[in-house]
Order: sequence, then structure tokens, then C-alpha cells
Amino acid sequence: MSAQHDRSQHEDVPDISVVVIVHNDERRLPDAVRSVLEQTLRNVEVVVADDCSTDGSFEVARRLAASSDRVRAVRLPENSGGCGEPRNRGVAVARGRYVMFLDSDDTLEPNACRNMLEAAETTGADLVSGLCLRVHVDSRWGTTAPWYPWLYRRTRTLDSIAELPDLLVYDTLSTNKCYRREWLLAKGLTFPRGIHYEDLLFSARAYLAASRITLIPNTVYHWNVVRKTEAKSISNRRHEINNFADRLEIHRRIDRILAAEGMGELRLHKDRKFLKHDLVLYLRELPFLDDDYRRRFAEMADGYLREFPEEAYEGLSPVHRLCAYLVLREDWEHLMPAVDTLLNRNKVSSPLVERDGRVYWCEEHLDDPLGRTVLDVTDLDLHHKPVSRLYLRNALTGYRESPEGVSLSGAVVNPLGVVAPDARLDAELEFRARRRSLRSFRFPVRSVRHEGTAIAWEADVPLARGLRPVGVLDDVWDVRMHLTVDGERTTTRLTAGRTDLGGGEDGTVRVRPLLSRLAADRLRPQVSSHGHLAFHLVQHGTLPRRTADLLRHHMQSPPARLTKKALRGALALRQELRSGRRKIDAYHRMIRVLPIRRGTVVFESHLGKQYGDSPRAIHEELRRRGVPARAVWSYQGSPRGFPADAELVRRWSWRYLRELAQAEFWIDNQGFPLKLAKRPETTYIQTWHGSALKRMGFDAPELRTVPEAERRLYQRAVDRFDHFVVRGRHDEVTLAQAFRIPEEKLLRTGYPRNDALVRARESGAPSRPAEELALRLGVRRDLPVVLYAPTFRALDGGGVRSFTFPFDVEEFARRFGDRLTLLVRTHYLNSVTLPPSVHGRVIDAGQEPDITPVLLLADVLVTDYSSVMFDYSLLQRPMVFFTYDQEEYADGRGTYFDLAEEAPGPVVRTAEELFGVLSRLDDPAGPAAYKARLKEFMTRYGEYDQGDAAARIADRFFGPEEDR
Amino acid sequence: MTRDIVLVGNEVNELGGVGRWQTSMARLFAERGHRVTVVGVAPPGAPFDLGEDPPFDTLTLHRERPSAPRRTRGLRRLDLAAVRHEALREREMREAAGRLSAVLRARRPGATVIVTQVWAMEWVALADTSGHTVIGMSHESFDTSRGSSRFARIKEHYRDVDRLLLLTREDADRWIGQGFNHVGFMPNPTPLRSPAPSPRTDATVVSIGRLGYEKGVDMLLDTWAEVVPRHPGWRLRIHGAGPDEEALKRQCSELGLDGSVEWAGRTEDVAGALRRSSVFVLSSRGEGFPLAPLEAMSCAVPCVAFDCAPGVREIVRHEEDGLLARPGNVLELARHLDRLLSDAALRDRMGERARENVRRFSPESVTDRWERLFDLLER
Repeated sequence: MSAQHDRSQHEDVPDISVVVIVHNDERRLPDAVRSVLEQTLRNVEVVVADDCSTDGSFEVARRLAASSDRVRAVRLPENSGGCGEPRNRGVAVARGRYVMFLDSDDTLEPNACRNMLEAAETTGADLVSGLCLRVHVDSRWGTTAPWYPWLYRRTRTLDSIAELPDLLVYDTLSTNKCYRREWLLAKGLTFPRGIHYEDLLFSARAYLAASRITLIPNTVYHWNVVRKTEAKSISNRRHEINNFADRLEIHRRIDRILAAEGMGELRLHKDRKFLKHDLVLYLRELPFLDDDYRRRFAEMADGYLREFPEEAYEGLSPVHRLCAYLVLREDWEHLMPAVDTLLNRNKVSSPLVERDGRVYWCEEHLDDPLGRTVLDVTDLDLHHKPVSRLYLRNALTGYRESPEGVSLSGAVVNPLGVVAPDARLDAELEFRARRRSLRSFRFPVRSVRHEGTAIAWEADVPLARGLRPVGVLDDVWDVRMHLTVDGERTTTRLTAGRTDLGGGEDGTVRVRPLLSRLAADRLRPQVSSHGHLAFHLVQHGTLPRRTADLLRHHMQSPPARLTKKALRGALALRQELRSGRRKIDAYHRMIRVLPIRRGTVVFESHLGKQYGDSPRAIHEELRRRGVPARAVWSYQGSPRGFPADAELVRRWSWRYLRELAQAEFWIDNQGFPLKLAKRPETTYIQTWHGSALKRMGFDAPELRTVPEAERRLYQRAVDRFDHFVVRGRHDEVTLAQAFRIPEEKLLRTGYPRNDALVRARESGAPSRPAEELALRLGVRRDLPVVLYAPTFRALDGGGVRSFTFPFDVEEFARRFGDRLTLLVRTHYLNSVTLPPSVHGRVIDAGQEPDITPVLLLADVLVTDYSSVMFDYSLLQRPMVFFTYDQEEYADGRGTYFDLAEEAPGPVVRTAEELFGVLSRLDDPAGPAAYKARLKEFMTRYGEYDQGDAAARIADRFFGPEEDR
Repeated sequence: MTRDIVLVGNEVNELGGVGRWQTSMARLFAERGHRVTVVGVAPPGAPFDLGEDPPFDTLTLHRERPSAPRRTRGLRRLDLAAVRHEALREREMREAAGRLSAVLRARRPGATVIVTQVWAMEWVALADTSGHTVIGMSHESFDTSRGSSRFARIKEHYRDVDRLLLLTREDADRWIGQGFNHVGFMPNPTPLRSPAPSPRTDATVVSIGRLGYEKGVDMLLDTWAEVVPRHPGWRLRIHGAGPDEEALKRQCSELGLDGSVEWAGRTEDVAGALRRSSVFVLSSRGEGFPLAPLEAMSCAVPCVAFDCAPGVREIVRHEEDGLLARPGNVLELARHLDRLLSDAALRDRMGERARENVRRFSPESVTDRWERLFDLLER
């Protein structure tokens, strides 16, 4: 010690002291110390603080100290059992101007100290914090996961933690940080002893004490973790419940400090995070624990949560909120399914109930006003979805295994009776290897019965005979159940809960892998981290066990590495074959070698999303005339709703590419894939999908700024158009110029999709498609129909803002429900959620593929900046413009004309104004007063729309009708 | 403390932003007493004059510009011409790197090697840099790099340098997001040392830059077409030359702007051009840390600019010493110009503020930052 003391007299002060704590970890300690000594910042010292290890840790530390004059070792006189005391001791002897903490099983990123120091000196911060990277040391591919990366996206300096409460609330580690040592001492910042979660308290106090904090996005700390692939034992789970007491105690201490500092807002953030995060850690264990533990947990939680203000529950997801509520109510029956949803987002785990037009999690607690708020899950929009789009909870109720296989039984939840009592039911079980794989095996389910709020099922699964894994490569098998309800399929996972999976350590079900029984010989049930049943291949016999050891041992050998590399290569090749680039190359070979097929027309509408719009109108005209063309329709997702008399090809499938390569005509309204060239023999008719108010194409800011190469690519794609359909002079000076489309390509026919609108105006008779639509949607025909059709709003930096009503839709239904019907049709990039309470009065028409019948049905249109205004004007019916965000919208995009000036109807800015106009629809001074302007608007923006667009296009490209 | 500093760029004195920056930095280092050498990989295509007796040594590694590598992997190994070409190219590269090694070995240990462009790094990587500190630089925004082949090359060649410098904190942070942890940033210094301020009496808006796609003069013309009807009497003077000159002049005529737009060609006297203007406009699609607005602000001319890169928002503070519009949003840029042209007091306030604010990029303060960085890398 005295020698060290002498040295420190002569040497400069280290920039940073890194306190490395160790307890019985002699094997890894040298790595940790080396990661400090090899820092790019050389002026650092290491203080190893040994928590009185019983192995050789301190000896190792002393050896390290002897071999470098930058390392010192200290030892606690007795074991403290935590991380706090050794760190306190380390800080006490540290000499550096700054201090960092490192655990013996982790390492520092090589530039960590330099980056921390630079930040600290530049900003003068007391505390610098960087990104911590969790390294999964047991993962085959060296997986890493950043720790709360959203806090560390950019460098920022805070003058108070109140500027970023999430930092205190989420990043509670003490190790990814650099502290000014004098400041630590002056503020008396030390770790508490004798309690778990000491980091939480220490970092909270440090954040609060710092007069400046700097965050840097650099990775500074490698936290080596072993991912728990094995199921937790019951004792493990109980142990965690016991830790809950410590966690609560730490939180209470932090709360007291926050209260003393007057940081109420921070407290609120912390409460929210507790509900969202800390509580969930324990809730997820509850389904597996017995009632005693549940009760103890509830008592503790209750004592703490009681102090939370109601605002703490705001901004929480409905599921988090109702879980916390059910804990306080000790309602295990409803909590357990809720926890399932907590672990598996989007899973519907409760049968739900409908009351007074709202949807609730359960029938109970609705007499309690708080319960009524918390349990209201209407906004999750579960009441509209068909069974195929619901992810239903499937609780395992019975499990029995034998050498031949397993017998399973379970119950699938039936929310709001989505499965009708008389539905045809069928089910099968699927076993699939977890690693992106390879194979799956299916087994029938013996019986499926409707039991009201649940669908009960039973199955005997002959795994020994029916499941043939490869072995080694496919260790884990997940189980799914596919339930078919009247031909509609939904896929479920089996939630194990407290059902006894028996089986013992090695399992009893026999299995025979392709790699022979040497690889594995038994299947053992286990529960995944999401609570689902899975099976693990295990070695039971002596021989398989020995092989497994051998394999593990040799996984790092050269032949194994080669094999792994080959496997990775094969997976990459498969990916590559399916990739866009490969397909694009192949397509371009096709257009060189394959002949054109005369009479083939490939149709597409909105990138394959629907059978509709002008391509549909042209298709129907060709059919009506009996033109002997071969129609091919492209679809995206599901082919439902596409015509039976056409050939259907999935967008981007090999057949799609082949049809495009050989087609005589391409007809679409938006754009076939940009990167596919068009051969000169193919004629491309671009119908487009609406006249423009907002700036489009090369007039739009987002396209003006793209790099030159991308711009050329886009121009080349647009140059593929041979004909571009326009509705009037306005299109010619806006769209055609924005896309740089030359004069001779313009097809001045008007939109085929609008023929029906012109005809309806001229005949004045009710239209059949509109009446069919009314019947389909259940629209009352004794009331006028108002259509609300807003366009989408872009988010800054791309993306689409999700749709919310700019007025209270329930209030609308209350005020106007008996006078008119509101149809809502959002832009196809948006979707809408309606509460059941407005049923029959406000109706979603967003699922209709074709908008024309919707327009025909509507007596009044309410829109904002949507191009639907141009089409609807053809009907010469009243329009109202609800432009509540005019400045924001027009500023962001720019428009071709001033809507407020030219609108052929009232322009309203608030919901109240809108309601005012709607309540006076018959008033001659209302929308009806715009008759003359409406006519002017129609001719100014669509003079070519004369009702014969489809016919003229058919005449021109497929021969006049009378020739046939 | 004086150091040995070796700047290694693509060329010693190629006309353009990086070339100008490199020479002015070399001078600034020399003024502080450091021993400076400027090394170019290839001779310049369009050189500018270094002046008489520059205070630094220069060396060019290749007599002619080295050719691009040809692929010789896979089946292409059978292409003997390509293989021969590659062998020759690699030999010449090694010889050139040897010349660089000789320079580096002649420096005192602990010299600083500053690689100004990633292409030059390929030679530095082959040279013997032992005992010296290597700093890599990228003189463009993260987004510009990402849109080009340099993105992959920066990742490959700058992986092992001691420090990689970007132009702004924001660009540096985004590279850190790519997993680089040895990243810092360093702004460019203002090129002009306290020039006389513009009186802001001429009814002229000025633009200075190459007439190429990147500088967005086409968008500037569209903007001007929105602005000028409300401000007859104002002129837009466009300095610069380049490949798009024809097309831009045609666009100008089509927009009917010939009466209010003046094509002034390339200028050597930037300060003079700025003094004859009251507003500077930057209509670029992409930038690094542009020198032109720095010069304009030094001359007390307020800037209106597309906020197209972190460097731009680092230089111009919106509503304080200039106005920023969303990239490509011509209407917004026009509204900003409209505001400044309508309000002489606003022009004066922002112009004076700009002259104040731009001092943080003065040659002295930027050189100080460099010296602090040298110290840090030594600790």
C-alpha cells in the first residue's frame, strides 16, 4: 500500500477511476479489468473492490495490480451480499477526477472513457450517461439488445432531470455512467446497503443531485447476460415475488426524496412506469403461482398502489390499466386472462360484454364508476373484427402425456359471441420448429364444441409417431391451434397457466429425430416467455446425453463453424431467391425472351388493394362488349372481392411478373412497381385516381428533394406511361406537368370510374349499386345520407397519421341520429373505429372496395381536401368543406388553388360550425345556395367527364363496338 | 506545444469546398506554429492557386489520377485483362503509400494525420502510421453519405482510425447510431476574416453556388416566381456556373423571370458580391457545412435557406439570424423571402445578429477546438 501511495504523489491525477466490483468471479475479472486498461483514453485507473470473495478473486485482483501501475485492489472485511458496499469502498479510494462502475462479468466499450470524458469536459456535466448494450453471451449469433435506446438517440444536455423524467424512470442503472468524483463526495452520494435494487435509489438520487446531465448515444457498457431459455422453476417465481417487497421499499424511498424535492411531475412519471413495467414483471409470474402467493402479492401491491393518484393511470394502455385495477380488486378470475393479453399484445383473452353501446372487459365492477372507466375497451375495436382477424386466447385445461404422445384439452375464448352457436367448427394442432424453419407437423383435433363464452376442444396427439424433428437444429417446437369457424380460420397459441405439465425433468414422450436418437430421444413440455406451451427436445438415455455433451463441446470446432456457416449461407440464399432484386432481374430477362401475348390486359387498382376505380370500369366495359381480351387482375393480400371472370395474380408473385412481362396492355391507376421496365410492345394506360388540390409529383416537396439518381428512376417509371387519363384542363396544367407527361400522351376522356356519376346526374333515377350498398350496410332509406370522406394527413418525416374524428361522433349520433345517417369513408391509408353506441346512425363505409356507389348513395358530402370533391361535383349535390387544419395542411404540402376561395359549398372550421350547417341542410341559405358555383366548379375541374370515358377508351384501344 | 500535422486529401488544391477548407486549415495550423504538410493522392483536375510561398509543404502521391478498381472475383478471375489491370493498380498504390510512409516516418512520433476524405484513407491505411494519431473526416452530411457509395466505404475504411470527425453533432450522433463509437465533430471555420459588412441597401437577393442539381437553383427559380410579383424592383442575382446552366436559363425564361433574374457567373470576390446584396438564399437539396452562408453571415447578410442538412441548421438559427424552410417546400421558402423583402428592419436585425453569431465559427475558435481535440487524443 505504501508503495502505491508514493506513486500517487508523483503521478498526475487519472482522468477516470473505474471501480470494478467482484464477488467470486475470478474467471471473468481479468477481462473486465483488461477492457479498462485497453481504453483509448489511457489516463485511467482501475480500482478492483472485492466483496470478500471465497474463491481466488482477490488473488487475481492482486496479480492484476502487480502487473500494472494503473490497477489497485481493495477488499471488504466481510461479504456485504450486494453491489453497493464494494462500490462505496471503491469510490472512497479512487483518485480520478471522474468515476465509473463496472461489474466483473461485464466490459467497457473501448472508447467509453474517452467519450464520457469529452462529454463531461465539454458540457461541465456532473453526470454523463451512455448507452448500455445487453450482450446475450449464450446466443449463437452474438445477439445484442440496447437498453432503452430511445433515451440515447442523440447527444443532449439537461439542466435538470425534470426535463427528461423518463431518464430517471427507465434508466436506473448505475454502471453506464460517469460521475464527477468531487461532486459525488460533496453530495454524499453512496449506495444503500442490505437491500436489493440499490441501483434504483442511487441513480435516482444522482439524477436529482446533478446540476447538469449529459446523455451520449455512444455504447459505453457491455452488459453480458445469459438469456433464460429454460423455463423458470416455481421456486424462482416465488423468489421474485419475495423481491417485490424490496422493490417497493426502494420505490418508497425514492418517492420520499421526490416529495422532498417537490418533484411531483417526476413522481407521476415514475408511478406510470411502475404500472407499465415494474408491476408487469410480477404479474407475469402470477398465473403460475398458487393463491397464497397471489394474496401476498396483492396485499403488498395494494398498499403501494393505493397512494397513486388517478392521473397515474392516464396514458396507460387499456390493458395495463385494467390489470392494475383487477389486482386492487383481487379479481384473479378476470386478471389471469388480462395478464395473458399483457404478455401477448392484441390477444383477446376475455369474453367481453356490451353495455349501453360500449364494450367492457367483464360484467363485474361496472357499478363502480372507476371500474366502468377502466374496464371500457371499446377503443380497442374488437367488436367489428371477424374471427379471422382476432387473436384469441386458448387456455390449456388438460394435459396428459404418455410415451406415444400427449392428450390435450382447452378452451378458446368467444368474445361477444363472435363464434355463433350454430357455426361449423373444425380445428387442428400444428407443431412448428421455432427457428425460422424448416418443417411443421399437423394433427387433427378430436372434438370442438361451442359452450357459449368459450369453444372447448380435445385432442390426442401421437407425437412419437407423427413428429419427426431433424435434431440439434430444431430443439424447440411451438404449438398452435388453427380453429376454423364457417370456413374462416383463426390461429391460437396454447396458454399453459397453472395446468400441470407433469413429465418430470426429461419428459416421457418419445421422439425419433432424423439425426437418430443420438441427437435426442424425448420431448419435454415447457412454457415460453409468453406463457405458451412448447416442447423441447431432450436427451434422456446415456448415449444421447453423451452425444449432446460432445456436440456442445464441438459447436465451436472448425467443422461445426463450417456447418453453421453453410447453414447460414443456405438461409441467406433462400432469402435472396425470394428477394425483390432477384425477381426484378428475372423479370427483365423475361421481357427479353418471352413473347407478347396478344389480348392480355393486366389490371391493377391502388397497388392491388382493391377491385375498383377506373381500371374496374374499363374492365366492365370490355366484358359488356364481349371483347375477347384476357383480363388479369393483380391483388395484394386477399383475392376476396375480385371478379371470378378474371385471372387473379398476387402482386409481386412470379406469375404476376410473367403476366406483366407478356401483357399487351397494362391498365392501372397508381403505378406498377417502379423498378419494372415496360417493353415497347406493351401499351400502358395510366388512368390515375383523382384530380389534384395539393401539389403532386415533382411539384411535391418530398419528391423535389430526392437525390438525382432517385429522381431519374422515378421519372423513368413515369415515362413508362403511354397514355395518361385526364378529367379536364386543370389536370393538364397540374398533374400532367407535375409528372412531366408530354401533351401527346394525354387521354382526354375523363375518368371511366365517373361514368356512373354522370349517368346518375343525367337520369336522376335511383341507382342500383347505391341501393345494394344501402342494403349491405344497413342504411335507412327514409333519411338523407351524409358522407364524411376526409383525406389522410402525412406525418413529418413520412408515414401516415392515424385517423381520429375531428368531431365527437357520439354527439353527432345523439344530435342527428334521427334526422340523417352519416357514412364515414376515410382515405384508403386510414381506418376508422366506431363505438357500438352509434350503430345504424354512423356507418363505416371504408371496407367497400369501390367508392362510386358510396358517392351515389350520399345526398350530401362533407370533405376537407380530398380529391373526392371533384368527382362528387359531377352529381351536383351539396358539399360542405370541413377544413379544421387548413393552415397546417396547406403549408405542409402546398395547393394548386385556394380552396377557401373556390369551394362550391360552405367552408367550416370547427365541429360546432359543421353541426350548424348540417342542422340547416334544407335552409335555402345553406349548402343549397351554392348551385351556380357548384356547376362552375364541375366544369372548371372536370370538363372531359361526359359519361362515356370507358366507352371511348375501349373504342380506341380495343376497336369500336359496332365492328364486333 | 507545436505538433507535426499531415493533412491527406484526394488532392492538394482541387477547386471546391473541401479543397478550400483543407488549405485554410493548413494555414491556420501553421499560424499556430505547427509543422504542416498537405498530401494529395492525385493531381488536381481543376487546381486553384495556393499563392506564393504557402506556409506548408505539399506532396502528391500519384503522377496521374489512379484508375478505379475492377472486379476480379468469382468468374471474373478469368478476365486476364482485368486481373493484370488490378495487379498493376495495386502495385502503384503500394508504391504511392510507400511515399506517404516516408513522409510519416520523417515526422516526430505522436504526429497527427488528418485524412480529409475517405478515398484518401485507402492510401493512409496502406501506409505506416505507427506512433501517430489518425483522424478521419467526412465533409458531408450523414444523409448525403447514406445516399452514396461512400456510406459503405466510410464504414470499411474509417473503422479503425483514432477518431472520425463529422461536421455537426447531429451527423456524429447518427454515425454513432450506426455502431461507430469513435466519432466526434468539427465545424468548418468561416472563410472570410472580418470582411466589411454589407450596407444592405441594394434591392438584391443573392445566391452563390455551382449550377448543378444538388444546389437546387431550379427550386430557387420557382420560389422567385412566387416572390417577385409582390416585390417588383427586387432582383435575384445568381452567381456560379455548372452543368445545368442552359436548362436553368431556359426555365428562367419560361417562368418569365428574365427581367428580375441576373446570371452573374462565377465570382472570385465573394465578399464583394455579398456586399451588393441584402439577402442571401440557399436552395440546396443537400449540404455538409456550407461555406456560402458562413460568408454571407460574416458580411451581415441574413440567410434564407432550405433546412436540408444538420450543417445548415447549425449555422443559421431560425428566426434569430435567418429563416429556414422545410426541404423542397418552395412555398415556404417563398413566404420567408417575402417576409424579409417586406421588412427592412427585420433584415437589419437578422443581418447584424448573423454577423455576431457566426463568430463561433471564427478561424480562431475552430483552431482552438482542433487543439483541444489533439490534447484529448493524447490523454
